[in-house]
Formats: sequence, C-alpha cells, structure tokens
Amino acid sequence: MAGKLGWIDRRRLVQLLGAGGGAIAAGLPSRVFAQTRKNTLVLGIDISDTITLDPARLAQYTSPMTVSAAYDSLVTMKPGEYINLAPSLATKWARTPDGKGWRFTLREGVKFSTGNVMTAEDVKWSFDRVINLGDQPSQYIAHVDRVEIVDKSTIDIILKQPAEPLLTIIAAPEFVVLERKVAEANGASAAKDAKTADKAAQWINSNSCGTGAYRIAAWERNQQIQLVRNDHYWGGKPPYERIVIRHISDGAAQLLAVRRGDIDAAFNLIPEQIAALKSEPSVRLAPLASLDFVYMALTQEPEFNKALAVKEARQAIGYAIDYDGIVKSMLGGAALRPAHFLPIGVSGSTEEIARQIAFKQDLAKAKELLATAGFKDGFEFEIAYGNAAVQGVTYQDLGLKIQSDVARVGIKVNLRPVDQVNLRTEYTTGKSKGGVLTFWNPPAVENQLWAAAVVQRVAKRVHWNPPEDIVKLVSQAATEPDPKKQAELWVEWQKRVVDQANHFILFQPVYQIAVRNTIKEFPLTAAGWMLDLHGVTPTG
Amino acid sequence: MSRYILSRLVLAVVMALLATLVIFLLANTVPGDPVLAQLGDLAASNKEFVAEWRAKWGLDLPLWQRYVIFLQQLLHGDLGISISSQRPVLQDIRDFAPATLELASIAFLLSLVVGIPLGIMAAMRRDSWIDHLARLISLIGVSSPTFWLAFIMLALFYGGLQIAPGPGRIDAIALPPTSVTGLYLIDSALGGDWDTFRDAAAHLVLPSIVLAAATLGLITRTTRASMLESMQQDYVRVARAKGIRERRIVIGHILPNALIPVVTLGGLAYANLLTGAVLTETIFSWPGLGRYTFRSAVTLDFPAIMGITLIVAVVYLFINLLIDISYALLDPRVVR
Repeated sequence: MAGKLGWIDRRRLVQLLGAGGGAIAAGLPSRVFAQTRKNTLVLGIDISDTITLDPARLAQYTSPMTVSAAYDSLVTMKPGEYINLAPSLATKWARTPDGKGWRFTLREGVKFSTGNVMTAEDVKWSFDRVINLGDQPSQYIAHVDRVEIVDKSTIDIILKQPAEPLLTIIAAPEFVVLERKVAEANGASAAKDAKTADKAAQWINSNSCGTGAYRIAAWERNQQIQLVRNDHYWGGKPPYERIVIRHISDGAAQLLAVRRGDIDAAFNLIPEQIAALKSEPSVRLAPLASLDFVYMALTQEPEFNKALAVKEARQAIGYAIDYDGIVKSMLGGAALRPAHFLPIGVSGSTEEIARQIAFKQDLAKAKELLATAGFKDGFEFEIAYGNAAVQGVTYQDLGLKIQSDVARVGIKVNLRPVDQVNLRTEYTTGKSKGGVLTFWNPPAVENQLWAAAVVQRVAKRVHWNPPEDIVKLVSQAATEPDPKKQAELWVEWQKRVVDQANHFILFQPVYQIAVRNTIKEFPLTAAGWMLDLHGVTPTG
Repeated sequence: MSRYILSRLVLAVVMALLATLVIFLLANTVPGDPVLAQLGDLAASNKEFVAEWRAKWGLDLPLWQRYVIFLQQLLHGDLGISISSQRPVLQDIRDFAPATLELASIAFLLSLVVGIPLGIMAAMRRDSWIDHLARLISLIGVSSPTFWLAFIMLALFYGGLQIAPGPGRIDAIALPPTSVTGLYLIDSALGGDWDTFRDAAAHLVLPSIVLAAATLGLITRTTRASMLESMQQDYVRVARAKGIRERRIVIGHILPNALIPVVTLGGLAYANLLTGAVLTETIFSWPGLGRYTFRSAVTLDFPAIMGITLIVAVVYLFINLLIDISYALLDPRVVR
C-alpha cells in the first residue's frame, strides 16, 4: 500500500523532473542534483499540525498554503487587500436577478492538472461535497442553500439568508474546485451520504486534482510535502519544477538551514533568531501580516470575582496595560494592535481608527475608574494561560507584563499556568474565574464571523449578556451594501465592545519570515494561506 | 527452560493489558475535553456538530464500554482510528516507527560498541588517563541536557563547520528510497541506491550521537564498576593462582560475570531509546514515534495514546523477556 501511494510516485516524480530512468537506479548524480536544486523551491516550516490536505476537511493552520497552491477558488484575495476581492476561477460575479444569491461567470479554458477542461459541473460538485461531507468547513457556508448550474460557464450560489456575506468566505482554500471525474475515481463523493460514502481522504492526502499552479505529488507525514509544476496552469508557466515544504520543527534548526541555503525560507523564527539574521547578506526578512489575535478575555461573573463584575473595574485594567511596551519591547515592533476583534486591514479597522478607540495606558484614568467602581485600593484577580508562545513571546511573559502593569494602580494578579486543552475547556465552558490569555486565528476573512462570535459564543464565555442593539449592529453592518457606511457601522460596533471591556487585544502578530535572496517575489498574505505559492519566483 | 519462557510470556501479556487499562483510566481523568483539542472554534461551539463528532469517535459511550471496544478491536489486530490524524493508529505507527527504530538502533549500537570497551579499559587501567577520559565522557553524556547537546551539535557541525547534514532523514530535495522496511539504510542498500544510503547515513550521525550520549555514559560506568567487582572475586584469584593467562582470565572469567548487569541495563536502555526520543526527534525534525506520542498526548487523542501505550508496553516486556532468558543462559541457577 505504501509503495503505491508513496514511493512509486518517486519514479513519476523523477521522470517529471526530466531525469532519465537511469538516474533512479543510481540515485541522483550530483550534477542533476545541483540543477534540481535550482529548479526547486524549499520552504522550512513546522507542518506538524497538517493532518489533511483535503480542502473539504481542512481545519489547520499550515495546510491551507499547500491546498491553495494546488487548487483555486472562484474568487480570491490579493496580498494586502482584504476588503475587495480579486477574480480567480470566476471572472465576474454579481447578485442573482432575484437577489437570493450570487451569480459567477467562470473563466474560459481553465484546465485541471490532468489537462481536462474545468466545467460548471465540477464547481457545483465541489461545493456539494463540502456541504454533504459535513466536516468543519461546511460550518462556514451553512447559509448556502444550493448551487445551481445556469449554463456551461455560469453558476449560482443560492443563500438561505440572502444578505449574509458569502464572497469573503468562499475565497478561503476550503472552497476550491476539484476535478469531479478524478476525485470520484479515487473514492470521493458529493452525494447526500458523502459523510460515509466518501473514501477519498487517503488519495487526496498525497495527490491533488485541482487547477492550481502546482500539483501535490507526495506527503510524507512530519517530513515534507512535495509539489510539482502543473503544466496546464491557466495563469502562465509556474517558475519552479518542484516545491518541497520541508518540516523543520525547531526554529534554531530553521535558522541554520536558511543560512546554509538548504532551505529558501524559514517560517518559525523567534525574535532572537531574527535579530541574528540582520547581518546576513544572503537573507532578507519579509513581514507576514496576520489577522490573528493575541488577547486577554475577562469574565464578568460576580460569583467568580466581584470586582470584575463591575464594568469600570474592568476598564481600569484596560487603561493600566502598557500595550506599547508589549508591541515595542517584547515583539520588537513586529505587531499591530486593533481596537477589538476586527484585525487591522479589514473593513472598519485601520491603525488610525484603532489609535482613536482602543484602550491605551492611562494610569490616572485607571485609578479614577477604580474609585468609581468602588475599588479605590484595587482588587485581586487571576490570569490563566497555556504553555505556548506566539512570535517567540510566551503567554507567561505576557502574564508577567500585565501583572506588573496593573500592579501600578493597585490591582493584584495571580498567574495560573494551565495546559492548553484544559485552558480551552475551562474558557469555552465559561468556567474561567478571571482573565485568560489566548489566541484566535480566524479561518476566513469575514468581519461577520468575528463580530457575531463576539456577541454570541465569546460573550457567553465571559458571562456577558449583550444588549439587543449591539447584536443588531453586527447583522446591520454585515449586510450593509455600501462599503463606506459598512465601515462606519463596524467602527461603531467596535466602540461599543471596547467600552464593554471583556476583551483586550494585546497584539495582532506580524510574523517575520526569513527569505533567501535567491527568491525574488515572495507574496506573503494574511488571507489565511500565508503564501501565494504560485507567485513565488526565483531571482535571475 | 521452555516452561520458564512460557510462563514469562503469559505474564507479559497480562502486564501489557494492565498497562493499557491504567493509561486508559489516567488519560480519561484529564479534565480537558478532546473536542476542544481537535475542533476549530466555530465547530466546537455548534452543539449538534459536537454531538455527532463525539458519537463518531465513541466518546459519548460510558468509560467501561469504550475500554471493552478497545479490547474487542485489539483481538482483531485493530488499534482503532487516531482522532487527530484520522488514520488507523496501526498505520500511523507503521509510518513513524521505522524512523525511530533506525535512529534508536544506531544509537544503541554506538553506545555498546564504544561504551563496553571503554568501561573494560577503564576498569583494567584504573586511575590511568583512559579511566579519567572514560569518566569525563560518561559525565558529559549523562549530565548534558538532550536539547542542549542536540542544538550544540547542530550549530557546530552543521551550521559552523558545515561538515554534517541538517535536520531530517535525508536531504530536502532528495527523494526517499523505495519503501520496503521503512528503514532508509536498509531500503537504499536493497535498491543499490548508494547515494541515498550515504545521504541517510550522514543524516543519522548527529542525532544518533546525541541520543546515544546518555546511554553511553551509563553503560561505560556500569561496565567499569561491574568489572572492578568481578575482578576481586575468589574465582578470579583462584584462576590467577592456577597460572592462567591474564587475557583468558579477563575474557573467560571476569567478563561473562561482569556483563550481567550490563545486559539488564542495555536492554532497558534500548527500550528507553525506542520510546523516549521526543527531544532529539524535535530538534532534528526526525519523523518518528516520539513526536507522534507527544502530539497524541497533548491533543487527547485517546486511540493513539492507547495504541502507543500498548506498543511501548510490549517493547519493554519483550526486552525484559529477552533479558530474563539471557540470564537463564548466562546463569543456569536462574531457571532452577
């Protein structure tokens, strides 16, 4: 079994590389080796979280990068532009005439990696499969009623709630187009009983059947993912013959490897390692702005903590934290800070807006608020956190920083380290007795996904019962067709939730990726798949 | 003799099952919820989705029933499906075990081949320079933390001197050998692919030294101490009095007796190398069982945890069995 799925591919792979059959028997001679190296892009990254490469089952952090290289969605997002969508497999889109859904005009002459032409049938089948498999991605398009084929180059996606956002969600690599014929031949199903009938997981984990610039050739778990060029790619000839996404779990080992040129880019470096690269002429640093949040949630359940039940007391904490210190000193400035759960870069969230409405350190104001709350001499609360780090900064260090910050206005913090799963269990079941330091990585770039969560499940965790008008504001903003008005509504919403003081966004990471100068274009994106692999080009 | 082996085998099976029961109960006392270790935020907050998910993995059943199912599957040679990799646990183990087996075996051989002669020489030339050298090597091996040693070795020989290859089992752009056993050295040799063999062998050097370090230290010290003790036994004095040549005394009289504790230690050390290489595997990005075990534990992947426990228990029990049998062979009194 392993032979068929794994290493027989090696033969095909070597053939694809242009090396003759003789090279297989003898191993790659060093001359071929050097040539191969030049035509191969090698990325060093911790991919231990990758458990599937099936778009319809995707739920991890690093796998979308691979999937987005092998498959395309109807619409996409260009790096840095997360409000307006860009065409991909669809060239045009508009509301359906009856206003109940969206109509997409498919790009002409797009071919799959097999050379077969993509049809409207493939598009419908791919969406049906996501919906009927019922795995995590289906949750994000729960408001899709059905997909209809209008003619051979037009499809409609009909919604149950027509005003709900769709385009930003289906830009994610979960909602890509597969070649139905190939997928079905390998066990895939999009039928109503796909949950049990679909047997494609194994095949789809080491192969692909998409229209993307590269094709998945092999995945050796915890070792590497191999991609080869798709000669039928509609966007022009991809520059590399091969891409190796190499699993290197340790940042220090990545640093050594990128310095030596064994890998072309290193993804998991911590600030000290990045500092060590500043004097390295052959390597540059590329910022990967993310839409992730590192934040502290505060309960307001009076049974857990009487002081935290008072809004002014929570606000006092908000005014006591030294956010600039966290971003500048702890992260070396490599981070942004939005006002609330709308990352900088999306509708209604810019650095300027955040500066105006987010909490900032103001100790006098914090003391004043403490007095108003009836806790002139301060109070005590706990902060729980997991044993993990973001951008090389541990939650423990963040906890210590907040502890020392709020101590300046007389608030005492007890730090409580917990393992990640227990922390999440406590937090999501509303059992956290004080503050929780944690992370949020949104699966698709859509304001409503975040904002609705804040007033629903996230509110429950901190025992906040949001007033009707704040809840309404979310759907009002999400369904507002005018972009300018929409942005204003989102600002208004942020003001309201900031005032509520249940969540303090500490920072929005900007990851630093080390890239060798043998690479020219390296289009990093915050849209969810980290890197537009089809756009990576070599120098010279 | 065969009766002795049989009784030990039966005991080993009972012990392995007991180990799985203990781990099963322990793993289930953790207050964390596997749902929250596996599902994204939106899915984990959808009650229906969670209920269906629990049912799919059998997490909605009473504890005892889940254990019974585990036992039933076991009878059919099935360890169930891993929650986090969504593949049969047996397939996961088959994929990850060869990398660990290859690394641990090389490391074990290294520690025996270096450790035993070093220990013997240190004992024979007590307080000479070789004894001091052996002491220094053991001390460094036993006392330096694995992650530190691993990183220093990488930084020095890969990053600095550039004479060793980097992390992983083979070069990033090389292709793995055609899989037969999953052991790259053997597979590449079988295929006559000597370039890959050299590549794989070179990649084994640093991690196996790091992994061998602690074991090497222990084996050296134990061999030395045990040799010194045997050298003072009456039978050695008698042999000397009879005028037997020193060389024969060492090989024929001292060594067989001195090696009994080394066999015990060596067996357990090998089992330990096979099952406890998490740190070495992490720093060298070695795709072995150590990383898999660690990940299964932190994500509360019960089927994987149970499968690995069983494998680890079997490895330990099997090696213990071999030790016991070798006792019986080395010292006939054990059977009587």
